[in-house]
Amino acid sequence: MDALGHLMSGFAAALSINYLLYATAGCILGTLIGVLPGLGPAAGTAILIPITFNLDPTGAIIMLAAIYYGAMYGGTITSVLINVPGEAASVVTCIDGYQMAKQGRAGSALAIAAIGSFVGGIVATVLLVLVAAPLATLALKFGPAEFFALMVAGLCLVVGLAGNNMWAALLMTIVGLLIAMVGLDPVRGAPRFTYGVDELIDGVGFVPIVMGLFGVAELLIAAEKRQTRMIEADLQKWNLTKDEWRRSSGAIARGTGIGFVLGLIPGVGSIVPTFMAYVMEKRLSKNPERFGKGAVEGVAAAETANNSYANGAMVPLLSLGIPSSPTIAVLMGAFIIHGLQPGPFLFKERPDLVWTVIASFFVGNVLLLILNLPLVGLWARLLKIPFGYLCAGVLIFCIIGSYSLKQTMFDVWVMLGFGVIGYILRKLDFPLAPAILALILGPMMEKSLRTTLEISGGSFAIFLERPVALALLAIPLLVLATMLLRPRTFAKLRESDIE
Amino acid sequence: MRQGRLVATGLMLLFCLVAAWQSWLLPLTDRLGPGPGFFPFWMALIGVALAIGLLVVTVAQPAAAPVEAGDGEDTERILPHGPGAARWFAIVVALAAAAAAMEVLGFRITMLVFNAALAIALGERRWWLIALFAALGSFGVFYLFTTWLDVLLPVGRFGI
Repeated sequence: MDALGHLMSGFAAALSINYLLYATAGCILGTLIGVLPGLGPAAGTAILIPITFNLDPTGAIIMLAAIYYGAMYGGTITSVLINVPGEAASVVTCIDGYQMAKQGRAGSALAIAAIGSFVGGIVATVLLVLVAAPLATLALKFGPAEFFALMVAGLCLVVGLAGNNMWAALLMTIVGLLIAMVGLDPVRGAPRFTYGVDELIDGVGFVPIVMGLFGVAELLIAAEKRQTRMIEADLQKWNLTKDEWRRSSGAIARGTGIGFVLGLIPGVGSIVPTFMAYVMEKRLSKNPERFGKGAVEGVAAAETANNSYANGAMVPLLSLGIPSSPTIAVLMGAFIIHGLQPGPFLFKERPDLVWTVIASFFVGNVLLLILNLPLVGLWARLLKIPFGYLCAGVLIFCIIGSYSLKQTMFDVWVMLGFGVIGYILRKLDFPLAPAILALILGPMMEKSLRTTLEISGGSFAIFLERPVALALLAIPLLVLATMLLRPRTFAKLRESDIE
Repeated sequence: MRQGRLVATGLMLLFCLVAAWQSWLLPLTDRLGPGPGFFPFWMALIGVALAIGLLVVTVAQPAAAPVEAGDGEDTERILPHGPGAARWFAIVVALAAAAAAMEVLGFRITMLVFNAALAIALGERRWWLIALFAALGSFGVFYLFTTWLDVLLPVGRFGI
């Protein structure tokens, strides 16, 4: 069956009442998570994993994916109304979105964000359909050497984007890899670094660590800050002029392309495409001085690129089994919890699941548009929830999420410990994304490397004999070579384009 | 912040050194190829080199003058401070207490107390709203997860 046939079967399943309900619930929960300041998509997705434990794997992944892109949209609301990005990708939206809100045009900003997110999401999913299956077929020809090289390249790209923080990012990668080594050796099954603690036999739990680093740490940072005031606005009032629609349509088209292409590259992260799309619009504009003062195309570009990136980032996950960002790493963890290994073999062994999930991306984007345009006033009211209830409510889910996977309080302590560590590391400007990606890729990297060396009789020359592996391993060298030049260029761009 | 970075990097250096030593105690190779200690040992050694590199880079950087944020908040301080410190400690202490009490008191009683105590510590004062929130966040959530979502949650020694 070709891709179109598989996709049609996927639609038939995704439109069944159960999966439609899961996608709807995921969109609502995701938007809710995105709206709440201090909770990004990574923490949100991790926190809500427990509610999918007893769903079938397809339903669980549909729901978690919907939570992911719902959270990506939800972050926009806080960016526009209180100038606080609900998640990192919405940082750029704050620049013009908040200015529009101050001018009484919050409804217009949120409407163009919803429309841009919808177009970006749908087009990126079409491109995902075209790209993912051929890429997975190609990846089926990969051996352990190529997979090891691919994972090294993915991790190095994450590190490369840390800019001036390259040393810290590399060190965080190694720390993540070492934490991933705790538990049973993935090749021989021998216990390592467990020190007689039964709870460590299965390793340090990925979900408690993510909840700690992203959920608890975010709450601890939010607890220190002062409360921000929300701009009161008529959110149902749209007043986009014909000229604004014209300018926004160009921004949406370009944002879609930028978001999707950058989504394909492991490690780029969601802030880079939104930043690049914004900068491009500013450079192309005949009146760049309007940017930063409420330019609607600035909001359209950033939000479109954000959602297009979110869907594009599914390509490396589904085709190669490589997560592009911490949130995608959490989704990958959810696949593994449900007994699935994302990557080329998933396309071969469970095409029903893969294509139903892909079809659900289309459905989810339509649901998001339907839910978000009329319900934006409701979401905005959530911003008025007092911090005490918000914090306690989120922690309830963190405790349940950490405990319920292995039914042990040990994981709740792990979550608390990593919450405090995450708080300190964030204050010290240590990037957390490389550690999270290393944590999920660590066991697979080790297994691939050791299998490769067993095949070669212990000789590393095997990497020189396999051109694909060699090419992929060249990426880290290129990253290291450009590390001295690029951060300055990036910093200069940032200074000149975003005040 | 530089001092904090030096301490954190020093701790990571120590972590990598311990990992290298512990990996060394495992077989680095066996008759089939690399053993269980192989990957962590080399990763830990790379980590040691990186940590030393980061220490050198951090020491070489000129010390920045303390920066005052717009609202008078000192952004250079690492540990919680000011009015937010009480909220910070309330969250950490409440979480630790909940983790310690959960297996004895069970999810419902622990979370009832946790929710009420945390809401009060974080500045909420309307008692009826606190009571409603605490009840929903404990007994309500327990019912939702155990009955509807089939997720097992701890039941304490008193059967609650």
